[in-house]
Amino acid sequence: MTIMMPAPDQAVLARRDEIVTALRAIVPGEGVIDSAAEMVPYESDGLMAYRQPPMVVVLPDTTEQVSNVLKYCFEQGIKVVPRGSGTSLSGGALPLADGVLLGLGKFKRIREIDFDNRAVVTEPGVTNLAISQAVAHAGFYYAPDPSSQIACSIGGNVAENSGGVHCLKYGMTTNNVLGCEIVLITGEILKVGGKSAETSGYDLMGIITGSEGLLGVITEVTVRILQKPETARAVMVGFAEVEAAGECVARIIGAGIIPGGMEMMDRPAIHAAEAFVHAGYPLDVEALLIIELDGPGVEVDELISRVEAIAQGCGSTTLQISTSEMERNLFWAGRKAAFPAVGRISPDYLCMDGTIPRGALPKALARIRDLSEKYGLRVANVFHAGDGNLHPLILYDANQPGEMDKAEAFGADILRVCVELGGVLTGEHGVGVEKRDLMPEMFSEIDLNQQQRLKCAFDAQGLLNPGKVFPTLHRCAELGRMHVHGGKLAFPDLPRF
Amino acid sequence: MDTLNIRDAKDVEEAVRAAIASGQPLEIIGHGSKRLIGQPMATNALLDLSALNAVVAYEPNELIITVQAGAPLADVLSLIDSKNQQFAFEPINTSALLGTPDIGTVGGMIGAGLAGPRRIRAGGARDHLLGAHAVSGFGDSFKAGGKVVKNVTGYDLCKLLAGSWGTLAVMTEVTMKVMPRPESERTLVLSGLDDVTANRAMTAALGSPFDVSGAAHLPASAFRAAISGLGDMGSQAMTLLRLEGITASAMHRATALAALLAPFGAAEILQDAPSAAVWSSVRDVKPFAAAGALGAWPVWRIVCPPATGGALGQALSRDTGGDVVYDWGGGLIWAALPPKPDAQAALVRARVNAAGGHATLIRAPEQVRRNIDVFHPQQDGLARLSERVRHGFDPKHILNRGRMTRGAAT
Repeated sequence: MTIMMPAPDQAVLARRDEIVTALRAIVPGEGVIDSAAEMVPYESDGLMAYRQPPMVVVLPDTTEQVSNVLKYCFEQGIKVVPRGSGTSLSGGALPLADGVLLGLGKFKRIREIDFDNRAVVTEPGVTNLAISQAVAHAGFYYAPDPSSQIACSIGGNVAENSGGVHCLKYGMTTNNVLGCEIVLITGEILKVGGKSAETSGYDLMGIITGSEGLLGVITEVTVRILQKPETARAVMVGFAEVEAAGECVARIIGAGIIPGGMEMMDRPAIHAAEAFVHAGYPLDVEALLIIELDGPGVEVDELISRVEAIAQGCGSTTLQISTSEMERNLFWAGRKAAFPAVGRISPDYLCMDGTIPRGALPKALARIRDLSEKYGLRVANVFHAGDGNLHPLILYDANQPGEMDKAEAFGADILRVCVELGGVLTGEHGVGVEKRDLMPEMFSEIDLNQQQRLKCAFDAQGLLNPGKVFPTLHRCAELGRMHVHGGKLAFPDLPRF
Repeated sequence: MDTLNIRDAKDVEEAVRAAIASGQPLEIIGHGSKRLIGQPMATNALLDLSALNAVVAYEPNELIITVQAGAPLADVLSLIDSKNQQFAFEPINTSALLGTPDIGTVGGMIGAGLAGPRRIRAGGARDHLLGAHAVSGFGDSFKAGGKVVKNVTGYDLCKLLAGSWGTLAVMTEVTMKVMPRPESERTLVLSGLDDVTANRAMTAALGSPFDVSGAAHLPASAFRAAISGLGDMGSQAMTLLRLEGITASAMHRATALAALLAPFGAAEILQDAPSAAVWSSVRDVKPFAAAGALGAWPVWRIVCPPATGGALGQALSRDTGGDVVYDWGGGLIWAALPPKPDAQAALVRARVNAAGGHATLIRAPEQVRRNIDVFHPQQDGLARLSERVRHGFDPKHILNRGRMTRGAAT
């Protein structure tokens, strides 16, 4: 582990037994876990290179219990790490040695399905997919579809502002959440938003979404649901050069077409995926695009023919259009299995998540190739081409001394390239622990201070999920200090009328 | 009152720092097109951003445009229109409603965050603001978000800036998402429905797979003038449902939706230009235009769970003798109510609270706005949290002091 977490508070650790007892009084029965063996499953999340047993695990099952746990921790100065299903790829739910791990896994009930208002009110531990399944009988679904949707919880989706392959057209979590119930570290329970399209006052829902568990603990979520498109078909296009594939993506968007999904894979990713799922991918191409069009049949047919013409105009070498639902799913099978497929050809891999302007794709891939040579590590690229979100998978072997450090350094360099090309550090996985120390690549100290002042408005003591997102934690009193710069004269030096 | 003409972000920093030193709050304006909205402020100087008017970068294939905050909205709209693109949230032009000149800047559009009919499908201003450079009430320039459409790096401060009415920070440059303009549009018009039935029709339409991008209802009204695009149907009750996309698709869905809604009566179908004219009237609340029959009446903007809108609006108009227009499938109600000293705030807020919504007084004389809460009062805990958030951006209350909160001006 190369990222340092805050030093454990020995005074808190010394009081562990007393703390466990107090938590048992709040959450009775098996809701408090303190044996080393039983805490093992909570040691890490989807970023498995990082492990840390928590001081104690608490699994409340009512909002009142959550509130009381937080209030107790607040009063006692104990750190808290919230956790949903533990699928974060950035270490958002990595425990702290001196922290309470607050699991929301028992919040598993969908509270209300309101088709008239096109909203579902749900507890945070419900999985992303379960929401879609619960409304499928009426033709509805919940649009954001992170690839972990079978396991990831909606509370975690809100905390991370999760995306998915369809977010170019249908938006990320933040564009699909209407409201929540959130418990602040003080134990205060707040309702933000509801079934209305907008909240009153400042858009607190917008700021809670994607806050990575640093602002509060979500105990209820209201999402908006959509009707499923009438049909969907996919086009699979191969190119002899990455540049041509990039050009094809730009021209599709330029032609005013927003596909339901538009994914790209490079040669190593294509080969790994094909060997794994036999989707019928062409193996003699440098880049493969999967473009899905959805909507009424008449629209999909028309757009498919437009996309086909654009692809051919960009010099595609292979082009296949799905003719059945089975075939469409087969096209996707390889892409969806890309991560495990790469897992088969390498003992370990690191999945990066930068976003770049689409037009910078060839440049980004060339730079990644150079870095791959420099570090002597292979890389496979899968790419949400429609929205510029790049997932380079760095192949390494953790059993080789030093190789993990090398892979992490490689990954950090890739993210620096993304920022340099006008992009950002993370498109959908979050900063968490993984990208924390890279934040200064993208934000100045002033930018980060402003973000931390927001943190101060929610959690002035910094007890919620410390060690994530921000490389340096400032005390709120220090951040609130006003530095007046001379300024005796009101409005000097400005033209007036 | 002093007007400070800003040339760059440094000027803003300097002005804010000087304001901090002197304790004199600033009113932030672009063109000033929405100065009549909000709690009257007690500010000593205008910070005029209208000279920060450049288009910094427009990349149609990246679906983004970066402009300085004072860029004229009309110019930016025609620029992106020239590439067949648009701001998908259909920003409202408030000039007809407020009776002000037809002006406005991109910064003002975001600060107000007022989205039009397509909000039900495309989201609001907050969903299309990707990044911003702004100066906080500390006098520091900071960056929020980025210049790509997909980004979760750090807190999403852009969400807070959109709709904050200039009370958190002075935006100097913004990056917006742009989306393709649909090739065609069709509007189904159902006639003669009462508000509650119309609400049900809109709910059925929005619960269909036909991708409805506008759902509005204009009740029968003795006050309302004719609306362009609707021929002589001006004052009858009309329910409007919009379908956009490639021509074949819009036509197909219009036919299919008309069949689905047959129980609500036969639908007339408007095509492109007349359809667009109707929706611009709905978007800009032209039935309540300042120059129209109800120009002297206060206007409320009520946001509520969409399926509750019909009953709420019907009760409000019945009990006050006022007039309402519904958008967002019932989720947005514009209510023009007969003038009263409190603009009927107590009645409106009681009804709206019961429906789980919130109400903003968008148009009223200054004296009325001074004495009531223009923005919906929040529950205590939320109000305290919002104030702590505001304090984190502007502890000395320099920026648009008191615009969103009554009593803060003094």
